[in-house]
Amino acid sequence: MSAFWVVWSKECIDNLRDRRTLLSSLSLALLGPIFFIGIMSLVLSEAIEDQDDAVRISIAGSANAPELIRYLESHNTEVDAIEALSGGAARNLVKSGEHDLVLVIPADFGMRLRAGQMTTPTLVYDTSELGSAPQRARRVERMLETYGRTIGVLRLQLRGIDPTLIQPLLVDRVDVASNAEQALKLLGMAPYFILLGAFMGGFYLAIDTTAGEREQGSLEPLLSQPVSRTALVLGKIAATCTYTAVSLVLMLVGFYIGLPLVPLDRIGLALDFTLMNFIGIFVLMLPLTWFSAALLTVVASLAKTYKEAQTYLSFLIMVPTLPIMFTQLFGVESTPWMMLIPSLAQSLLMTSLMTNDAVAWTDITLSMVSTALLAVLLTWFAIRLYNKERVLG
Amino acid sequence: MIVVNSLGKRFGKVTAIDSVSFEARDQCVTALVGPNGAGKSTTLRILAAVLRADSGTAEVNGHEVHTHPDLVRSSIGVLPHNSGVYARLTARENVRYFGRLQGLGGETLEARIESLIDQLEMRLFADRRTKGFSQGQRVKVALARALVHNPRHVILDEPTNGLDVMATRALREIILGLRNAGCCMLFSSHIMQEVENLCDDVIIIAGGQVRFSGSLAELRQAASNDDLEEAFVQIAGLHEAGV
Repeated sequence: MSAFWVVWSKECIDNLRDRRTLLSSLSLALLGPIFFIGIMSLVLSEAIEDQDDAVRISIAGSANAPELIRYLESHNTEVDAIEALSGGAARNLVKSGEHDLVLVIPADFGMRLRAGQMTTPTLVYDTSELGSAPQRARRVERMLETYGRTIGVLRLQLRGIDPTLIQPLLVDRVDVASNAEQALKLLGMAPYFILLGAFMGGFYLAIDTTAGEREQGSLEPLLSQPVSRTALVLGKIAATCTYTAVSLVLMLVGFYIGLPLVPLDRIGLALDFTLMNFIGIFVLMLPLTWFSAALLTVVASLAKTYKEAQTYLSFLIMVPTLPIMFTQLFGVESTPWMMLIPSLAQSLLMTSLMTNDAVAWTDITLSMVSTALLAVLLTWFAIRLYNKERVLG
Repeated sequence: MIVVNSLGKRFGKVTAIDSVSFEARDQCVTALVGPNGAGKSTTLRILAAVLRADSGTAEVNGHEVHTHPDLVRSSIGVLPHNSGVYARLTARENVRYFGRLQGLGGETLEARIESLIDQLEMRLFADRRTKGFSQGQRVKVALARALVHNPRHVILDEPTNGLDVMATRALREIILGLRNAGCCMLFSSHIMQEVENLCDDVIIIAGGQVRFSGSLAELRQAASNDDLEEAFVQIAGLHEAGV
C-alpha cells in the first residue's frame, strides 16, 4: 500500500469513529433535504388547497339554512351534517377532537334573515392543533362573507340604495408571482443547501488532520517517517474530499427521494427530477468537492490550534454561499465569467439542471475546468505549507 | 553510529544551536544533557530530518541527513518531545499506521507488532483505544510506533517526562535492552540521576554549544566532582550565567 492510501484510510477510519463530530458534519446533509422539502410542501399546500381540495366541514343545524348549504356545496364544500347543537356543545366536540371544524347555524337563522336582521353562525376550530382546520375555517369564512355580502347587496337594492355606497374602498390585489414562480424561487435555494452540505461534510476532518494532529503532538512523528510530504498532504486532502463527497451524495439522494414528494405538479409546475439530472449534478460538483477539501485543509493548516481552526472554518464555509446570495438578491443573469467562480458556477448550473433548463456544455466544462484548476492550486499550496518547518508550529 | 559536525540552526534572529559536534556510538546509550532551551530538541529534530540545519552536517548510519532524509528516517526511530498518539485508534492500530508508513505490511508487520507488544509489555491495553491512556501507556505506544521498523538508531527526546517511578523504570529497562541488542541510543534529558543510571556517554550542551563530551567517569574527572549534578552545573557554566 502506498503512503497515500495508508494516510487516506487511516484518516477516514479515525474520523468515522468520532460519532459525535461525524453526525454534526453530516447533519446538514441528512436533515437539509427533509427541512427543505418540508418548508416547500408547507408553502405549496396552502396554494393547493385554495384551488383544488374540497373543504370538509361539519355543520350543526344544517336544516336551518338549506339555501346556505346549497350555496356552500356548489362552492366545493363537503358538508357533514350533524345534529343541531349549542355553541358550547360544538366547542366541546372540537376540543375533544371528534370534529375539527364545526359550523353552528342557529335555529332562527332563516327567520332573522327573512326579517332583514343579523344572524350569527358560529365557526368552531382549534388553531393549536396541527392540521388543515384553521385553513379550511378561513376558506369557509370567506365563503360565508361572500354569501352574506350578496344578501346585503340584495337588501340594499330592494330598498333602492346603491350597494357601492357602503363600500367606499375596493382594494384590488395584484400578486404578479404565480404559485409556480414562488415554488421555483424556493427551489433555487436547494443548490445553496447542497453546497453548504458538501462543505460541512469535510469541516471536522480538515481540522482533525491538520491543526488537530499538530495539537495532539502526532504531527512531528508523522513528519519523521520516510514518506514524501506530497503523499501525506494528498492523503489528508483526499480523506477530507471523501467526506465532502459522501455528504454531497447523501444530500442528493435526499433531494432525489424528497423532491417528487413535493406536489409541484398540482400548481402547474411539471418538473421531472430524473436520476440522470442528479448524476449530472454529482459529476458537476466533483471538482468542487476537491476544491472545498483543499481550501478547508489549507486554512485549517494555517491555524495554530484546533479551536482557532474551528473559528476560521466557521467563517470560511459562509464564503461559498456569498456569491449565491448575491445572484439571488440582485437576480443576476448567468454570464460566462461566472462559470469561472467556484460555487457560484455550480449553483447556477445546478438550478438549471434541477428545473430542466437547457444547460450549455461549454458552461459545464468551463466551470469544472476552472474549479479543478483552482483546486490544484490550493493543493499545491497545502503541499508547500507542509514542506516548511513552520508547519510544526 | 550518529555523527554530528558543527551543526548550526537559527530561528529568525534566535540562534538555537551554534556549531554543535558530537558522536553517538553503536551499542551505547548517549545522553544529551542541558538546561531548558539549550538546543537539545533542535539538535534531535535535525537528526530526525524534521528540521533542516543552516550549517554543518549530521550523519546517521553513514547517511547525510540533509541529502538523504528518507534513508535517515528509515534507519532511526524517533520519540519526539511530548509526542501524542491518535486517541480514536487502538494502541495496535497506532503502531500499525506507522509501520505501513515505513513501508511494512502483511505478516511481517503483524509479527513485528506482536513482538513489540510483548517487549514493551503492552498486552493488556494493546487493543484498546488510546483515549484515556495513562502517560506511561501513551509513551509505550509512541515508543512502539518509533521502533516498529526495527531501527538501529533510536532518538528519544525527554522520554521520561511525566512518567511515574514504575513507568520510568520500565522505560529504562527497555532502553538498556535495545542498547544490548546493539542499537545506538541517543536521548535527551535534564535529570542527572536518570543519566547516571543509564548512560555510557554524556554530551552537555548549553547556550547552543557542546560544553563536554565523554564518558561518565571522564565527566566526574573533568569537573573534579563526584556529584554528577554539581559536575553538570559547573561544566554547563550555569554558575556564571547566574541561573
